[in-house]
Amino acid sequence: MTANEIIEAYVADVAVQLPRKQRNDVAFELRALLQEQMQDRADAVGHAADASMATDMLRAFGNPRDVAARYLPALTIIEPADGYKFLRASVIGLSAIWVLGLLKHLQQPLQSGWDLLSVMGQWWGGTVIPSLWWPGLLVVMFGSAAWTRRRWPQDAEWKPLATDRLRGGRAAMVMGVIGMVCGLYVLTEPSRVLDILWGGQAAPAAYQALTYTEAFLQRQAPWLFALIALNIPLYVSVIIKGRWTDPLRTLEKSLALADCAAMAWAVADGPIFLSTGSDQTTKVLMTLIIAWTLVDLLVRKLRRVRPAPSQQGYF
Amino acid sequence: MVGTDVFGKLELELRRGVVVLATLSQLRKPRYGYALRQALADKGMAIEEGTLYPLLRRLETQGVLTSQWKIEDGPPRRYYALNADGRKLLNRLAQCWQGMNETMEQVLKEDAP
Repeated sequence: MTANEIIEAYVADVAVQLPRKQRNDVAFELRALLQEQMQDRADAVGHAADASMATDMLRAFGNPRDVAARYLPALTIIEPADGYKFLRASVIGLSAIWVLGLLKHLQQPLQSGWDLLSVMGQWWGGTVIPSLWWPGLLVVMFGSAAWTRRRWPQDAEWKPLATDRLRGGRAAMVMGVIGMVCGLYVLTEPSRVLDILWGGQAAPAAYQALTYTEAFLQRQAPWLFALIALNIPLYVSVIIKGRWTDPLRTLEKSLALADCAAMAWAVADGPIFLSTGSDQTTKVLMTLIIAWTLVDLLVRKLRRVRPAPSQQGYF
Repeated sequence: MVGTDVFGKLELELRRGVVVLATLSQLRKPRYGYALRQALADKGMAIEEGTLYPLLRRLETQGVLTSQWKIEDGPPRRYYALNADGRKLLNRLAQCWQGMNETMEQVLKEDAP
């Protein structure tokens, strides 16, 4: 290729990445500028421009992709301040999806190495590739949040919030306690729901579906219901105080862990309900509650800030 | 000792901040891209062509430069010059730069070992 042909190819590579309405005009200007620059270089070294000189000059000018980007206004979809948050959410989400998908696929019986390869293939096609919806969703979420902040910057201003505040205020906490009392009333005898909704006229199968097994009532139920009931005085204390104190937070975490332990015991020990369908559904829900509670406790622990000097010492 | 890599990045950031001001300052009279680059280089402010030429287009899109094609003794060239808004912007940026420069001189003098 001659020096001019190399410049033509370069200009085309830049221009093709630009919006159609400015493409030809920029290409015409850029080609003229590069040709003039090339001629000056050739004059400086005292011989005609060649392919090697043109290539060196254009490499120094920049990759066509970068140069084309400089012609356009900067476009930020995910703000730099959100970069690490996006990466962390992507990695954690994808890891969770992949691990759960792998566990699901590994439930098949494995007779040989080929079976394992087949399972891995199914995992790749059925879990890993489809899981890319997750980073896609995150891009949309982070992009929308960034656009909203740019569109209404006054709403994005920092506002001071006490770390020990009650989320939703006292009213929400009172509603929560009322909900807890009602829930406990139903939990101690689930078939009461049928009496309330159908006035005791529901089908016998419905009553059986909501009847606890004797073993559960003898073993886990007293512990489980007592631990759940202990949350009521805790939240009443918080409402009276109007804020979370350190001892109340510690008590809340201890109760949450104890609740999880009691639920895990109930899930692992045997049937909770006489009906298999109710039993399985309840166990799935309890497992989800345990997972949610533990993740919430872990996240709160990881996000806790306790100002303290590093170990590097002082001046 | 700070590595050349760190120095290079920080120096690039410093230069990036003044590229626009330097470019606007040389467009009080119409110039085309290559001549502008030469004018800046002659004054000790070498700006890479790959940065300068797109910058001219962006400044024009932002409404501070006007441009037109001219044919003189050579190929057609696109000449850029400040418009009224560009001149106001240049004055404000120049004042801002002079203020910062004076402040930095003070800061560096006070903190000099």
